[in-house]
Amino acid sequence: MGVVSKKPGRSWGRLGKRGWGKASHALIHLVLLSAAMLFLFPLLWMVSTSLKPIAETMKIPPVWLYWPPQFKNFWDAVNYIPFLRYTLNTLIVCSLAIIGTVSSCSLVAYGFSRIKWPGRDIFFVVTLATMMIPFPVIMVPLYAVFRELGWIGSLKPLWAPAFFGSAFNIFLLRQFFLGIPNDLSDAARIDGCNELVIFWRIILPLCKPVLAVVTLFTFIYHWNDFLAPLIFLTKQETFTLSLGLQFYQSQHGGTQWHMLMAASVLVVAPVIVLFFFTQRTFIKGIALTGIKG
Amino acid sequence: MTLRQKRELFYGLLFVSPWIMGMLMFVLYPVLASLYYSFCYYSVLSEPKFIGLGNYFDLFTDSVFWGSVLNTFYYAVFALPLGIAISVTLAMLLTVKVRGVTIYRTIFFLPSLLPVVALAILWLWIFNGEYGVLNFALSKLGIEGPNWLAEKNWAMPALIIMSFWGVGHMVVIYLASLQDVPQVLYEAAELDGASWWHKARHITLPMISPVIYFNLIMGIIGTLQIFAQPYIMTGGGPARATLFYTMYLYDNGFRYLRMGYASAMAWILFIIILLLTLVATRISRKYIYYEGG
Amino acid sequence: MKPKQQAAKNNLRNLWIVPFLGFGLLFTGCGGDTPVADGPVTVQYWEKWTGFEGEAMVAVVDRFNTIQNDIFVELTTVSQIDRKVLVATAGGDPPDIAGLFSFNVYNYAELNALMPLDDFIKQAGIKAEDYIPAYWRLCLAAGKVYALPTTPASIGLHWNKRMFREAGLDPERPPRTIEELDYYAKKLTVRDEVGKIVQVGFLPIWPGWWNWAWGLFFGGELWDGGDTVTPDDSRNIIAYEWVQKYSRGYGLKELQTFRSGFGNFSSPQNPFLSEQVAMVLQGVWMYNFIDMYAPDLEWGAAPFPTSSSDLYGTSICEADVLVIPSGSRHPREAFEFIKYVNTQAGMELLCMGQRKHTPLRKVSKEFLEQHPNPYIEMFIELAKNPNAKRSLAIGIWNEYDDEMRVAFDRIWLQEGTAAEILGTAKRRLQKSYDRELRRKARLLKDN
Repeated sequence: MGVVSKKPGRSWGRLGKRGWGKASHALIHLVLLSAAMLFLFPLLWMVSTSLKPIAETMKIPPVWLYWPPQFKNFWDAVNYIPFLRYTLNTLIVCSLAIIGTVSSCSLVAYGFSRIKWPGRDIFFVVTLATMMIPFPVIMVPLYAVFRELGWIGSLKPLWAPAFFGSAFNIFLLRQFFLGIPNDLSDAARIDGCNELVIFWRIILPLCKPVLAVVTLFTFIYHWNDFLAPLIFLTKQETFTLSLGLQFYQSQHGGTQWHMLMAASVLVVAPVIVLFFFTQRTFIKGIALTGIKG
Repeated sequence: MTLRQKRELFYGLLFVSPWIMGMLMFVLYPVLASLYYSFCYYSVLSEPKFIGLGNYFDLFTDSVFWGSVLNTFYYAVFALPLGIAISVTLAMLLTVKVRGVTIYRTIFFLPSLLPVVALAILWLWIFNGEYGVLNFALSKLGIEGPNWLAEKNWAMPALIIMSFWGVGHMVVIYLASLQDVPQVLYEAAELDGASWWHKARHITLPMISPVIYFNLIMGIIGTLQIFAQPYIMTGGGPARATLFYTMYLYDNGFRYLRMGYASAMAWILFIIILLLTLVATRISRKYIYYEGG
Repeated sequence: MKPKQQAAKNNLRNLWIVPFLGFGLLFTGCGGDTPVADGPVTVQYWEKWTGFEGEAMVAVVDRFNTIQNDIFVELTTVSQIDRKVLVATAGGDPPDIAGLFSFNVYNYAELNALMPLDDFIKQAGIKAEDYIPAYWRLCLAAGKVYALPTTPASIGLHWNKRMFREAGLDPERPPRTIEELDYYAKKLTVRDEVGKIVQVGFLPIWPGWWNWAWGLFFGGELWDGGDTVTPDDSRNIIAYEWVQKYSRGYGLKELQTFRSGFGNFSSPQNPFLSEQVAMVLQGVWMYNFIDMYAPDLEWGAAPFPTSSSDLYGTSICEADVLVIPSGSRHPREAFEFIKYVNTQAGMELLCMGQRKHTPLRKVSKEFLEQHPNPYIEMFIELAKNPNAKRSLAIGIWNEYDDEMRVAFDRIWLQEGTAAEILGTAKRRLQKSYDRELRRKARLLKDN
């Protein structure tokens, strides 16, 4: 699959060039716009609610723009729970998990694709099979493993396993590595470079877009992960945001809507910006990995 | 073994070694341990006691277990195919309309970036029977909406509807793979005067069918493990109408402290996923088009 | 732990570094052990409270930390505390003290998650007679003491006097029997011109905190204390038939619509506070919500109505308790704090702060006089009443509670008769309980 040589065509819009009346084009516009509105709704509502006093949050008909906007909700929200602590924890988990995943998975994927050794392919199939193991299967004994390692109560259970690779990302990277022509590394081998040097000097620089994909997938996974923190984090001060946001719901079942939404806006804003500006790389990366299997 | 082969084996194993460690510690050991626990009476705080097939026998006569299986399938049967259809449609529409693709792409991806807890609580409000915005919108159309999450027959559809907001990552993956479809195919088809539908049906869909298959498999694995949203939104209610497999497993393991029972459940889930994946692979083999294959 | 096991554990602990050494990366694990330092012993204390209830506990902790210099109590707020404590205990890193709910005590003690306190208690001179019996018994399991109470609570009927007056009822006379309750509820229910419910007298489903308990007010029992669980006790069936009468009588759909307009419990939109519901079964803490969100509400509190007069005064008495989880590093110091909280001064400081009554038999006059809740003595009487009930001291309680919640939902949704649905619950729970007993017996035999 010669994915590398293929230029991402900007012209696929031509799909609709001929045989298309203006009407159908307008229709597509309409469908896309309304879908976009629907998908935007949760975020818009989040922002809108974050600027209201709590008494206004449940009004019917809904008020979209409350005047004056309650910017102090943001301040309150940050002070209502240890917001900075949780953000920091989440960032620690996400960044360590990303570092771990990127470094370990690229090494392992290299071993699975660029070096021929007996048993490699069988082992790779086994690796693929592990993707089918649902988390609950291993959740309980995994707990025991972390307990034996003395990790319970710390953030380690959330990020340390990333340093040992994960099947999905290994798979993505291997697909990409397979597409890189062998001449490059063969030439280096003749020059006497060892595999580590080839990996570091030749292969890694080529796969930045794919690493971007792995990074984003890893980030989103850990950013939103709820079940693992729920089970493995026991101390309040180690909570991540996905867990900590629950504190805006009180013991008695009340929710501090305005604060929850303000906190969520704070949480999500940087991520949106990040995605918006990196998506081109990201899309390219996905296309290059050729998830096509 | 020649020197070269030895060297390759050494490097191969060296590169793969993090994953060998990871798989042993975080996959293989937990998987085998949970298999053992599933034959035990095990309360986490005390040593596991072997009881043979007791847990499995108990499971087969546990009506709540079967209820959770049915609920999970009910959800998956609707959420997964519809989600795939929606994301393929959106991606294909986006290839027609070129302008603003970056923005659309971001918008469709947005809900996947929002914190799970905040999103779940937001949906609680959207689905509220009295002051929820969904019923408000429906009342504008002259429809009296149900009390979504409070009614046994509507709670599950509500969760299914909600799942459509999470298709963003699939849209992005499809978009990326659509870039890969060779333009010549469309140009040739246009010369033959093929309609948009024709091109979609006979070029686009076959060309991205491996990606659809990939998403289907990933979807099966993910959907059958749904946990966070119902856990936060309904807690399994009303009257266990939204009690999902993983939730009942979690209850048994961490609330009733029957880890052995929970492990047996986990293993059954693993087998279900494995079988479904095999079936999906069997069926889709007929429809998947592999480039050059 | 045996030395061999410890060594194996250490090996495992270091094993995970191996692949990184292969790449020449230095990766040191951060040790979890805290070095021993001079000065006061720091005791880790996890508590569930937030808001003013949390502040009341902070005040007690601060007081304790200032009156002596040997022990420093570090308070951490923890949500879903029961699960977290269990997980941390299983994980070998529990806090030294934990503030659990009394209904956790039996189960946790049975699982060896708690340290028995008998020796400490004997040394400290604390006696069973110091406590109101309904609260003392919450701390026991298998004849040992595993906890000491902090803030207790009994529950009773709260009613809205203004709404009573408006409906032509005597605002000073709450219903005493179930028939009266039904009659009052009917009179207090108001529909608008199109028949939509805008106000109800009483709604068993709201807020739904004691769905397992309705049988108690009809003299029903949930367990015979031995091998048999009895959710389908004939008096329980009568009780849940009564519950179902409400969903049938007012119309399920109408009530659902009405109910989905309710605001959060902890908000001015709480339907009792916003005068949408005239009577509710609630705990001694209800006063705090009234004070916070609807200070002008005219309200009263009384024992919840019962099916017969000999049952009048039936209540559920539960308490927050302090326990020392197994594996606590400083049990002796931890108990010093628990002991302080259980002195009359410490307890009254805490309970006044949380505006509850104290579990101690001895109460100072000032406590009663200064207590802001006008009905505080009524709640104390409920706790002293021989009809004071509790959740079950049974290993499968969590499951029992869940099952009754589901049964209640199904009864409310009219999926069958109360007898059928409770029968199903009974079958499931009995099976589970039998299994539990069987395994416990087997474990005993093996050991």
